[in-house]
Amino acid sequence: MAGSKVKQDMPPPGGYAAFDYKRNLPKRGLSGYSMFGVGIGIMAFGYWRLFRWNRERRRLQIEEMEARIAMMPLLQAEQDRRTLRMLRENLEEEAILMKDVPGWKVGEKVFHTDRWVPPLSDELFNLRPREEILSKRFGLMWYV
Amino acid sequence: MPTTVEIPTLQELNVDEIKVSSAVLKAAAHHYGSQCDKPNKEFMLCRWEEKDPRKCLEEGRKVNECALNFFRQIKGNCAESFTEYWTCLDYTNLAELRHCRKQQQAFDSCVLDKLGWERPELGDLSKVTKVSTSRPAPENPYHSRPRPEPNPAIEGKLEPSKYGSRLFFWNW
Amino acid sequence: MISTSMTHIINPVAFIVPILLAVAFLTLLERKVLGYMQLRKGPNVVGPYGLLQPFADGMKLFTKEPVRPSTSSPILFLLSPTLALTIALTLWAPIPLPYPVADLNLTILFILALSSLAVYSTLGSGWASNSKYALIGALRAVAQTISYEVSLGLILLNAIILTGGFTLQAFNITQESIWLILPAWPLAAMWYISTLAETNRAPFDLTEGESELVSGFNVEYAGGPFALFFLAEYTNILLMNTLSTILFLGASHTPTFPELSAITLMTKAALLSILFLWIRASYPRFRYDQLMHLTWKNFLPITLAMVIWNLALPTAFAGLPPQL
Repeated sequence: MAGSKVKQDMPPPGGYAAFDYKRNLPKRGLSGYSMFGVGIGIMAFGYWRLFRWNRERRRLQIEEMEARIAMMPLLQAEQDRRTLRMLRENLEEEAILMKDVPGWKVGEKVFHTDRWVPPLSDELFNLRPREEILSKRFGLMWYV
Repeated sequence: MPTTVEIPTLQELNVDEIKVSSAVLKAAAHHYGSQCDKPNKEFMLCRWEEKDPRKCLEEGRKVNECALNFFRQIKGNCAESFTEYWTCLDYTNLAELRHCRKQQQAFDSCVLDKLGWERPELGDLSKVTKVSTSRPAPENPYHSRPRPEPNPAIEGKLEPSKYGSRLFFWNW
Repeated sequence: MISTSMTHIINPVAFIVPILLAVAFLTLLERKVLGYMQLRKGPNVVGPYGLLQPFADGMKLFTKEPVRPSTSSPILFLLSPTLALTIALTLWAPIPLPYPVADLNLTILFILALSSLAVYSTLGSGWASNSKYALIGALRAVAQTISYEVSLGLILLNAIILTGGFTLQAFNITQESIWLILPAWPLAAMWYISTLAETNRAPFDLTEGESELVSGFNVEYAGGPFALFFLAEYTNILLMNTLSTILFLGASHTPTFPELSAITLMTKAALLSILFLWIRASYPRFRYDQLMHLTWKNFLPITLAMVIWNLALPTAFAGLPPQL
């Protein structure tokens, strides 16, 4: 074997030169801390704008509520009259319907009290077409 | 106690109602609140004290009269800018007032010029107010039964019980 | 007669068809985007630029024989994909475009509830297939979806605190001044990642897991039922992106010019969807334990802390929204 003509492939004497295997990424953009700072800054700015707008929205809500407060007496008076009118009409209808029943007292109280008892909508609409109570209940509903 | 419900007749309930839509009412609300302050407060006080709509019909009639008068004045003087204002409100989704400031300004200045009405400041309409009224306060709005007699004062000498409380049995 | 047909045929069709169209083109877009990112063309044969490809696919799927495995639970097997698509379409009802079909007071809770219900279609299909792969895929999918729903719900709670309302229109009004993504960008980032996981998209597509689970809970499906699952999945993706837009990317609705609102809203949603596709093309799949770790040990504590933070800060600075 000593006189073999095959020359084995070997590293050069002294070994190969060291080569640079270190990851070499270009350093670009902001540093981590400053990116963090920018993020916090954006949050602070956002919160500031949001809170300012939320305060303004509360003021706007007061305005909207005041519009309702102002209208309330008018609407309430109207509602009261409407209820009473319907009760009166029902009473007259009842007198006609029950005129053949002996001993029937028209408009007898349901409750043993002198207080005003707000009538149920079923009671109000009982003698009317079904569409009316449906539209009263669901007609003006905007959302569920 | 009467056994039938008293309900006023239709003649008593007959009032000239205000037949306008919600956008109109909302557009006029603030001025209405400041102009018809007196009958409004009177009515609400009555309604609050009496707890009975049948007893506040007269006050309610005054509220309606004032409102009718109010809307007539607007119609006579600022019909155009008012119509523009409430149409604008009607066309925004939730009828929010903030979307129609320009039309509101026009309406406000017209009303100020012709009628001398000023838009109430924010918070004026929701203030708690005192109302002076000639209507006597109701005696017993809830028609409560009379309170039972208080127990008569015990005559004679009261002494602590001889063997301590009977509710307490851990007493050795 | 006319009003009956209006409410029961024309209205639903007018509501469903645009969604399905959008979904169809989303699938085409996905294949195109993935194609160009991998330096190939994507579908370009059927129709100009391959525009008719989704319809060809749909025709193929619906004319194929729907395989019904003989050992499966037949009713549940067919009910699950139907349920999936039904829920996915129903979820669109409360979305304001610019006015919702179903105007609910508690829109956000409705959406959360229905999207939790979608889990049952996955579970049902996996179980009804009577196959190991489908069952294991379904279990993994359900575990993942439920876990990420927790963080989704908490992020929503944060947004609700800042907005002061449960309706999506309230979010519109809040963001008229500033988009919520600015004050709450950490939340927005977590939200976006959670929607990725919630819709079982890459890099969280462990349910599909081609190499391990041969496509997950829907292995046994073919033809029409598979098409239903497919449509439901992409409908959900579009919906989640629309929801992200509404929650974080600003007011799209201007009352003076409502015609524009649907366009701006859907443009933003489409951009987010393209980001979905980009992410799919770029990231390798998560490992299952990493996936669970991310939501339970990172997102959950952070969002819980953010709830306290977003309650404390507006209270301290008097910046709470109006509440009725």
